[in-house]
Amino acid sequence: MSNLAQMLQTAGSSIEADDDFDAINALMREKGWSDGLPIVPPTEARVAAMLAYCDRPFDQPIAKIAPRWGEATPLRLAANAVMAGCQPRYFPLYMLAIEAMCEEPLNLYGVQATTHLCAPLVIVNGPVARELDINCGHNAFGPGHQANASIGRAIRLALVNIGGAIPALGDMSTFGSPAKYSYLVAENEAESPWQPLHVDRGFPAEASAVTVIGAECPHNVNDHESLDGEGVLMTIAGTMGIAGSNDIYYQAQPLVIMGPEHAKAVAASFSKDDARRFLQQHAHLTVSKLSRDNIERRVRVTFKDRLANPRPDDLIYAVQRPEDLLIAVIGGAGKHSAFVPTFGATLPVTRALKTVDGRLAKSVEDFRRG
Amino acid sequence: MANLQKRGLTTAVICSGPFLKLGQAQARVFGVPELPLLVIPHPLGGIAIDQVKARAEHALPLFAKLLKEKTQ
Repeated sequence: MSNLAQMLQTAGSSIEADDDFDAINALMREKGWSDGLPIVPPTEARVAAMLAYCDRPFDQPIAKIAPRWGEATPLRLAANAVMAGCQPRYFPLYMLAIEAMCEEPLNLYGVQATTHLCAPLVIVNGPVARELDINCGHNAFGPGHQANASIGRAIRLALVNIGGAIPALGDMSTFGSPAKYSYLVAENEAESPWQPLHVDRGFPAEASAVTVIGAECPHNVNDHESLDGEGVLMTIAGTMGIAGSNDIYYQAQPLVIMGPEHAKAVAASFSKDDARRFLQQHAHLTVSKLSRDNIERRVRVTFKDRLANPRPDDLIYAVQRPEDLLIAVIGGAGKHSAFVPTFGATLPVTRALKTVDGRLAKSVEDFRRG
Repeated sequence: MANLQKRGLTTAVICSGPFLKLGQAQARVFGVPELPLLVIPHPLGGIAIDQVKARAEHALPLFAKLLKEKTQ
C-alpha cells in the first residue's frame, strides 16, 4: 500500500500530539523514541514528503532490525528520517543502508546487543554520494554536513525505535560510542589514487553503493615524517596490532582509512593490493604483548593449529588474510590515516542503490514518485 | 532455544543479572515469553576456572528444579 492518508487511519499507525515542539519532544522522550537530542516532529506532511522519494510499497518491510526484529517499513523509516532532520532526497540512500546492515553477514544482532562499543559505519560510494553532498573531505566524520549527520542519525533512530537497541536493554554496550549518534561518510573518490571501495567489493564504478561495517571509532595514525609509501604503511601497520582488539581473534575484516596525502605517497610505489599484502604481513603483535591468561585461554584455543604452544616472539596478525582488509581514502589535507577495528564477529556488507525494478540508480530522482 | 522450547523440550537460558532484560525481551520477540531464564552471578568473562565452576553449581539446581517441575 502506498496511500499514506489511508495507512494512517489504521489503529496504532500514528499518534496525536499538541502542535507544540517542546510537547512533542517531551512525548518522544517519554516513549523512548529518542537518541537524547530533540527531534523534528514527524507530521503527516513531513512523512509524506519523505515518502515522495520511495518507490516501494510503504507498508512492506524492507528488512527486520535486530534485536527486536522490528519490521522496517518505508513508513516507519520515513518517520525516523524526518525525526533525524533528513532531507526527503536522502531517503533512498537511507533505506539502502538499513537494508544492507540487516543482511546476515553483518550480524546486526551481535553489533547491536554486544557489550563491545561498535556501531554500523556506512561508507557511501558513487555518484549519489556527490549528488547528496555527503562529506568525504575535511571532517568527514563530522561535524558540519547535513547529509552525513542526519542520515547517520536516522539510522541510529531506526536501530533504537524499530530495532529495539535501547541502552541497557537491547544495546548492552559497556561504554556506548559517539559513533552511535551518527556514523556515515563518503569515500573521497576524487582524491583517491585507486579504484573506489565499492569497485573493490565487486560493484561497477557507475553504481552508487553503501558498505556497512560493524566498527569501532577511527583510531588516528599520525605520520608526518615518512618520505615514502613503505614508511606510511609501516606506521599504519604498527597502529593495527592492538592487544585488546576483537579482530585479532576472528577472521575479521577491519578498515584502513588513508588520508589523501598518505594514499598518494603509498600509491607512488604500491598498488592497493600490494598495500593490503604489506599491511597484512606487518600488522601484528607478538604473543608477549598478551596476558598469560589470554594466551592460555584464548590464543591456544583460537589458533590451536599454529599457536598451541606459543613462544613470546610468535606473531598474532591484525588481519588473517590480505583480502580481508578494506582500504578506503577519506578526509582532507594532512598527514593522517586511521585504523577502524571491528566487532570481530561481523563481516562488511556492500549493496548497490537500485530502483524497485532492479536497475542501478543513476540519481535519487529515479525514486521520485509522480 | 526458542525453537526447542516450541517443540516442547524442557529448555532454559542461563544468563547473568545484567542480561536478564535482554533475555526476556528476546524471549518475547521469538514467541516464547515463558522461556525460563536462570540467572547466575555476573560476570562470565574474566573469571578463574573455580569461579566458572561456582557459576555452574549455581545454575545446576535451578535447572534441576525446572526439570522436576516440567516432568511432574
